[in-house]
Amino acid sequence: MGTDRIELLQGTLDMLILRTLILGPAHGHQIAKHIQRTTDDLLQVEHGSLYPALHRLERKKWIAAKWELASRDLKREYKYYRLTSAGRKQLTREESKWKQMTSAIARVMWPIEEE
Amino acid sequence: MRWRRRRKEREADLERELRTHLEAEAEEQGLPDEEAAYAARRALGNAGVVKEQVRESWGWTRFEQFIRDLRYSLRTLRRSPGFTLTAVLSLALGIGANTAIFTVVNAVLLRPLPFPQPHRLVQLWEAKPSKGYSDNVINPLNFLDWRDRAHSFAGMAAVLPIITNVTGAGEPVALRGMQVSPNYFSILGVRPVIGRAFLPEEGTPGKDRVTILSFGLWRSRFGGDTGVIGRKLMVNGEPSIVVGVMPRGFTMPKYRAEIWNPMTLVRSEGAGRGRYLQAIARLKDGIPLEQAQQDLQRVAHQLAAERPDFDAGWTAEAVPMLADATAKVRLPLLVLLAAVALVLMIACANVANLLLMRAAGRRQEMAVRAALGAGRRRLLQQLLSETFILAGAACLIGLAIAYGGVKGLLALIPDQSHLPRLDVVAMDARVFLFAAALSIASALLFGLIPSLQVSQIRPQQTLSSASARLTARSSFRRALVVLEIALALVLLAGAGLMLRSFQKLISVDPGFSIERVLTFTLFTSPARYQNDQKRAGYFANLLREIRSVPGVQEAGSVHFLPLMNSISGSCFSRSDEPPPVPSKARDSQFLVVSPGYFEALKIPLLAGRMFDTRDSFGKPNVVMVNRQFVKKFLSDRNPVGQKLNVCWTVQNPVEIVGVVADARQTELGTAPKPTIFIDNLQAPMYFAEIVVRTAGDPEGTLGAVERAIHRVDPDQALTHIGTLAQVFSDSVAQPRMQLVLLLVFGGLAGLLAIVGVYGVVSYSVAQRAREIGIRMALGAQVSEVGFTVLREGLLLAIAGAALGLAGALALTRLMRTLLFEIPPTDTLTLASVTGLLLFVVVLATTMPAYRAAQTDPISTLRYE
Repeated sequence: MGTDRIELLQGTLDMLILRTLILGPAHGHQIAKHIQRTTDDLLQVEHGSLYPALHRLERKKWIAAKWELASRDLKREYKYYRLTSAGRKQLTREESKWKQMTSAIARVMWPIEEE
Repeated sequence: MRWRRRRKEREADLERELRTHLEAEAEEQGLPDEEAAYAARRALGNAGVVKEQVRESWGWTRFEQFIRDLRYSLRTLRRSPGFTLTAVLSLALGIGANTAIFTVVNAVLLRPLPFPQPHRLVQLWEAKPSKGYSDNVINPLNFLDWRDRAHSFAGMAAVLPIITNVTGAGEPVALRGMQVSPNYFSILGVRPVIGRAFLPEEGTPGKDRVTILSFGLWRSRFGGDTGVIGRKLMVNGEPSIVVGVMPRGFTMPKYRAEIWNPMTLVRSEGAGRGRYLQAIARLKDGIPLEQAQQDLQRVAHQLAAERPDFDAGWTAEAVPMLADATAKVRLPLLVLLAAVALVLMIACANVANLLLMRAAGRRQEMAVRAALGAGRRRLLQQLLSETFILAGAACLIGLAIAYGGVKGLLALIPDQSHLPRLDVVAMDARVFLFAAALSIASALLFGLIPSLQVSQIRPQQTLSSASARLTARSSFRRALVVLEIALALVLLAGAGLMLRSFQKLISVDPGFSIERVLTFTLFTSPARYQNDQKRAGYFANLLREIRSVPGVQEAGSVHFLPLMNSISGSCFSRSDEPPPVPSKARDSQFLVVSPGYFEALKIPLLAGRMFDTRDSFGKPNVVMVNRQFVKKFLSDRNPVGQKLNVCWTVQNPVEIVGVVADARQTELGTAPKPTIFIDNLQAPMYFAEIVVRTAGDPEGTLGAVERAIHRVDPDQALTHIGTLAQVFSDSVAQPRMQLVLLLVFGGLAGLLAIVGVYGVVSYSVAQRAREIGIRMALGAQVSEVGFTVLREGLLLAIAGAALGLAGALALTRLMRTLLFEIPPTDTLTLASVTGLLLFVVVLATTMPAYRAAQTDPISTLRYE
């Protein structure tokens, strides 16, 4: 840990959260774990960023929250977030923006050799 | 409040969400409960910080934090009333003094004149650059030519302020009147509230028997009766019809007229002589001021070529009306504003110092709050909210101080003063905005640096080391105190210069005695005394009758009282030289005085004789001269018996019959100039200032003198009744007011600086109590310890004084023209204020020094 962790780019956390929620409703801990696992622990989600981000997204009505019993053990209630249709549209927008940016960065970093 | 309940729910919700997170984390790790909880908490980080960050994302926190900060600040301020009181009071004094002076500056210099498009209005003057005459009154013929030949003006009106006798409406009164060109009111853009303005043809002789009244006169004298229009009055002994009443508050900036009559200007031979008119004009639309000035000067240039005898060397000026009216008070007001700004800066430095000291004591508190998760911005916000509370309170108290201050200021100014526009001095929206802006600016000034310093605190360091408070930075505070002393010295230097200048001014011997002299103005009715002979007879009878009043020792007249900034000037030549031509001959001051004038003012005769009964009307004209005149023009011969040709309406040549000692005429600060005295009983003016020397209280004889005058002419009105002592006192009212204000500001600045020095030195003593204790335990003498502290104060004072002297030398130059016979670098003044300041600063450090010397080594060491 430590050295090979990458700082998340400004604004990308929102996109990652939205993307995670496409798979279905999840609570904060699950979202964090999911991002961490899928990136092989490369991206660590700081809780100090996660919860403000979740509340921000909720305020923008891109996600909605509800206290529900956990699906695994029905003993405990978690605050589950799920994607709204506005959130879905936002995700599409962010995705295409992200693609544009990565390809733009790629062109600067690894220019195609001219024949 | 609903949002508070919702807020509470949210808080509970967040709390629960974070708790479930921890539980999930613990479960995942599979650790026993307690350990899991600890690990989870570590993973989550500072829960308080997370909460705080989430709360921020809710958005409404700004406002809520602000309210909370305000509440918290109020609590902490209440806990240290000494600090709060000192800070708020010094700021309030600074803000109050600034607001008071700004109120005057705003009313006098900034507020536009109460006319439509006031910036298009100009005042016109003649000027003779070679003699240094500017804003000189205007010759009627020149005015007519300006009006007819200059193209840049929409209108031009001549104005002559003149006392106007009115009878036929109660007691005979002499009113402040104005003769004006008929287009005067339309140039200013103000219409009468009742009736009409003057018609163009009313500016011709014979058709000018119409009168316009001021609102105040209409109310007081005619009971506000609208039927006054068309009523016949006797104005200067001739019937005149009231045609209009001007609106309330209509006035020129410098002269508040009560009654207006048309001026009849015709091209006659008489119009080509003498300069006595004023004039106003409105610039044509789209014509810039510079172009209008050039246009006017082009005309003046033509006139100088056409009438070289009278106009050679003369040119013309067009000055924006507001600048013209306020020219004399602009510099004094700006000097006062600068002085009072220095006071506020000192107050700010003082409060910054207090805050720094307080901050040093609050390092622990701040460190704890930072450790508990308060971000730097939150700490800063909180500290700034404290300074804004201080500034807010200071602003409110300052406004109250300003309100009282303005009243006091206006009370310092005599009614007869020549200060313009004081009638409109009041606190308006602009003043309130100024006070608010000033408070915010000073809050930033005194609050930002201490707050930044405190909020930089690193909790680990502060909390872990007990020695942290010993490292509190005090160099910045010392610098602030040095600055305070320097600024105070600049102000005190200014005040000291003013004091010396004022002392010099009032100890000037005016050359006449001001004790027990009654003065008043008479305007003779032109209808009753149409010619010189009748006026001469009238004045002779009048003076004889006044002299017969018991208690009157002597009576005489002069056409301008001394120290009223008034004098006539004209040309002359000796009888062995060619006859005088206005543009070439030598100039002298002229005064028209009656027999008895010099005796009444105790101006001694040096040679020859005074005017007496031999010099009656119709006899060969004689004149007297003063010593300056002899010195400058007749030093090589016996002046008595010499003959002069003078440019005055008398039969030339005139013989000098006597020489009197010099007396100051225009103002106390201006040395006597060569003067020719004409006998009022030989060449009478239509107005006269009567001076009556009495045996007892001059005002006590007023009734009897008035009755004596009414025995000669029951319709004669008296104005400007007063005493020569009042005239003298009023003539120095402006420098006196400047002096009083500068002394107040200087004293305030000195006081604030002393508080600053005392605070810093005593704080450093308190901080070094341990060090002092150790040194005393090691055998340091009590006197040595005391001296160390004194030296600290002295060093601050010397550094401040050096800086202040440099500042004073740079800044007091700006007030050179306000000083009388004192150079702005006056060594005595600078040395004494420096000495004074050093002395009081050292005095302020004796208390902390004494306390340091009293330190009990045992007790200080035990405390650690």
